[in-house]
Amino acid sequence: MSKPSDLVQGTLDMLLLKILALEPMNGFAVSQRLKQVSGDVLQVSDGSLYPALHKLEQEGWITAEWKTSEYGRRAKYYSMTRLGRRQLEKEADNWGRLSSAISRVIKLKEA
Amino acid sequence: MRPEHWLFTIPLRLRSLFRWAQTDQELDDELRDHLERKTEEYVAQGMAQEEAHRRARLDLGGIEQTKEKCRDARKVSWIQDFVQDLRFGVRVLRKSPGFTAIATLTLALGIGANTAVFSVVNGVLLRPLAYQESNQLYLIQVVWSQMSKFYPLIPANLPGYQIWRKQSHSFEDIAIAEGTGTDLTGAGEPKEIHGVRGSANLFSLLGVSPALGRDFLPMEDESGRGRVVILTNRFWRGYFHSDPAVIGRAIILDGVPFTVVGVLPASFHFPTQLGQLTTFGREIDFFEPLNGPKDDERDLVGEFDFAAIGRLRTGMSPEQALAELNVIQAQISREVAKTDTGVDLSAAIIPLEFEVVGAARRGLTLLLAAVGVVMLIACVNLANMMLSRIPGRMREAAIRTALGATRWQLFRRMLTENLLLGILGGALGVWLGRKGVMWLVRAAPPGLPRLDEVHMDSRVLWFAVLLSLFTSVLSGVLPAWRASKADVQEALKSGGAAAGESQGSRRLREALVGIEVGMSTALLIVAGLLTSSLFHLLRVDPGFATEKVLTVDVDLPPQRYSEPTARLHFYNALLDRLRGLPGVHASGWVSRLPLEGETSVTGLDVPPGGPSHFPANFRTASPDYLAAVGIRLLHGRIFSESDRGRKVVVVSESVAQRFWPGQNPIGRTCLTFWGGKEEDEVIGVVGDVRTVKLDAAPVMMVYVPDWFGGKNLRVPQSAGIVVRTSGDERGVEPSVREAIHAADSEVPIVAMRSMSEMVSESVAPRRFQMLLGLLFAGSALFLASLGIYGVIAYSVEQRRRELGIRSALGAQVSDLHRMILRQGMTPVAAGLLTGLSGSLVIGRLIESLLFGVKAADPMTMGTVAFLVTIVALLACFIPSRRASRVDPMVALRYE
Repeated sequence: MSKPSDLVQGTLDMLLLKILALEPMNGFAVSQRLKQVSGDVLQVSDGSLYPALHKLEQEGWITAEWKTSEYGRRAKYYSMTRLGRRQLEKEADNWGRLSSAISRVIKLKEA
Repeated sequence: MRPEHWLFTIPLRLRSLFRWAQTDQELDDELRDHLERKTEEYVAQGMAQEEAHRRARLDLGGIEQTKEKCRDARKVSWIQDFVQDLRFGVRVLRKSPGFTAIATLTLALGIGANTAVFSVVNGVLLRPLAYQESNQLYLIQVVWSQMSKFYPLIPANLPGYQIWRKQSHSFEDIAIAEGTGTDLTGAGEPKEIHGVRGSANLFSLLGVSPALGRDFLPMEDESGRGRVVILTNRFWRGYFHSDPAVIGRAIILDGVPFTVVGVLPASFHFPTQLGQLTTFGREIDFFEPLNGPKDDERDLVGEFDFAAIGRLRTGMSPEQALAELNVIQAQISREVAKTDTGVDLSAAIIPLEFEVVGAARRGLTLLLAAVGVVMLIACVNLANMMLSRIPGRMREAAIRTALGATRWQLFRRMLTENLLLGILGGALGVWLGRKGVMWLVRAAPPGLPRLDEVHMDSRVLWFAVLLSLFTSVLSGVLPAWRASKADVQEALKSGGAAAGESQGSRRLREALVGIEVGMSTALLIVAGLLTSSLFHLLRVDPGFATEKVLTVDVDLPPQRYSEPTARLHFYNALLDRLRGLPGVHASGWVSRLPLEGETSVTGLDVPPGGPSHFPANFRTASPDYLAAVGIRLLHGRIFSESDRGRKVVVVSESVAQRFWPGQNPIGRTCLTFWGGKEEDEVIGVVGDVRTVKLDAAPVMMVYVPDWFGGKNLRVPQSAGIVVRTSGDERGVEPSVREAIHAADSEVPIVAMRSMSEMVSESVAPRRFQMLLGLLFAGSALFLASLGIYGVIAYSVEQRRRELGIRSALGAQVSDLHRMILRQGMTPVAAGLLTGLSGSLVIGRLIESLLFGVKAADPMTMGTVAFLVTIVALLACFIPSRRASRVDPMVALRYE
């Protein structure tokens, strides 16, 4: 239905962790930020965003609390945990290795 | 995962599990908040409120689906699903109490019976003997090749044991034991108690230490030292009321004081029998040390009465041990050959565990198989009942599918119902099983070893739990799979009620009925064969009178009756008293009664100088014993007073046929070796007698008169008194008891039974087998008939409309009957044929349990086929009658 088919498996987790590493925010803000920073390239539907956030929460990488926002609205704010930070480092490392490997392969083909 | 990780995740999981509603509410709030913000954003971009809201919802891709995915992310949803399935299952089962009750009962019966039988199998066969490293223990027996045709294995004797123990290196140690009986005197009446006389190392060899007091000391089994006893826990509890002060106290056994030095733990059990010829009895009261060899126990080739148990040295193989023993046995044979001929000895060893349960193995395996078949039938029946409920539930399944339930969810839900039935049935079954074990232990014949160790332990409970789970799942998978295949279109279109049973489903149900009938038939035939065996056995001529004969076992206190003449005097004086009693026709005494087993097996040379040391049973009998017990005289005459002092014997028919075939044995001589060498004249031939049990062939028997042996009289310490009455043998019991008391008030009566009771006791194992066989076969047939009834009744219900149309179109009642019967009886006939042919195979497996009847017995097979057919017809007939009464108007109005 709303599979992020244009995202490599597992990279959504990493992106979400990265965004939450900057500051705690609620789900809506995360979706906005995702669109904004990727320049609308990464289209993550709202339908896959929330299950992904809940999964990260269950893994203990992010934690959630209900806060009243600046406009007096109650919303669920997600923030990064220590475990999450470690996980992000690991995934970023992996990602770096993977992407450089892939670009080397691509260049090899062109040559 | 690291523990640190769990610190976060476990509370979260628990929260989603137990604060389910709150977690879900939060999810709801979160998504609503998201929708509101998104809508606001779209509105800000210039969209109309309505349109903005719609777009926001579309972006989320179905609120319920997204929620479900979020719930799945919590990883505890399966538990909630399961709880929900359980709740639903309980509701469904409560809605049809009739079905639930029958299904639960079916399961409970199966599980109960299986649990009970498994408890016995577990106690007798599976649990190792409660000795230390019991798999290293071996029973050592002697092979005397000249005797091996009659007695393949004989027990050990003391001189041989002493040589083995000194010379063998393969065994860490060897112990020896024999059964003994003695009179306990002191407070109240003299009491006959049973014990074991053994070497001092017996308990240390088995790895058992007394619960109270001490073990025997190493040298305590030597001559003159062993005036000590160790009591069994049971005896200590019963006789001494668990008094710990009993240690150090003296008890009087056969008039001699013995000091109690120890009490064994309650968990200790000694085998009731080791080898064919060494019995210890079911209830052992005490253990005493050997007290050295008695005078007659010093002979290298005499008194083979002891069970020898060896503990194999670690690293030694049984083969090595046996080879070493055989070397030692060959030395002994060479030693014996200096003075005697015809003695070639070797040895045989068998694992103690195997020996203890050996004979029971086959019977118990059969029992387990039979009860397993009952369980299978119960399973099939349950599956059948479930299947028959499917069409009624097709509509429900279809609606669920239409609402988005997956096949897996439907399947899971149906299976959960079965699991619930399994839990209910299992709980009830364990309760029934407990009752069953108690009944089995009480009803089981005395021959079954280790029966006192049978109880429900954790292994049995696990067995019951697994069995309930297994059966409920096994009987549920097929129906659940079929139900989950519901065709939405069909089921909804036809409105459920008329959605008839599909062809395939009916075939399946009929096949299941066929299987049930087949298995029940096979079980019934086995039960029938066992029953027929028992009846054949009871018709066997035992060779003695079973009516109007009272038997009494007496045991003379050895202190006062140490002289054979004193014993003879007592017996004859007692006979004089008995003869004078009103209602007593004749009486006599014998050294051992029929059916009480072999004893005094010694050599017979016939004719003198011919084959030597031919083993025969010897019995000392008073002159009138043979007539009193009703043993038939075939040739010559029996002892009379005029023979007194002459060297005469009476032999059994099989001895006469073996040695003087086609000749007249009367007046011939034979050489007997009972206590000494003696040449005797045969004065009579009497009929053979069942000596061991009814289904064991008669043994070679030599009867000798009470004056046999000259100075070395063979008058036994314990004897069987036989009283032939003119009326009911029970009537003379009090006067016989009085007569014995009057002859000597200190002589205990070990047992007083009528001969018919003895016969009945001797067939007790068979009666027990038959009873269980009939019980299981009966329940199998009952379950199968339920199955047949279920299929037919259901099919009649489904075809009500069709039947109505048929009868409206002029079908006669008999036509309808015939149609339904044909449908019902087809699977029965197929099952019957399968069962009959299967029983031929099974019959061959149990051939050794049969007596006087072949495995393929046409009579039994015919009877069973007839019985099954009648029951099946009856099961078909009830619903068929209902079908023929269908009023066409009513049936059609149903639509």
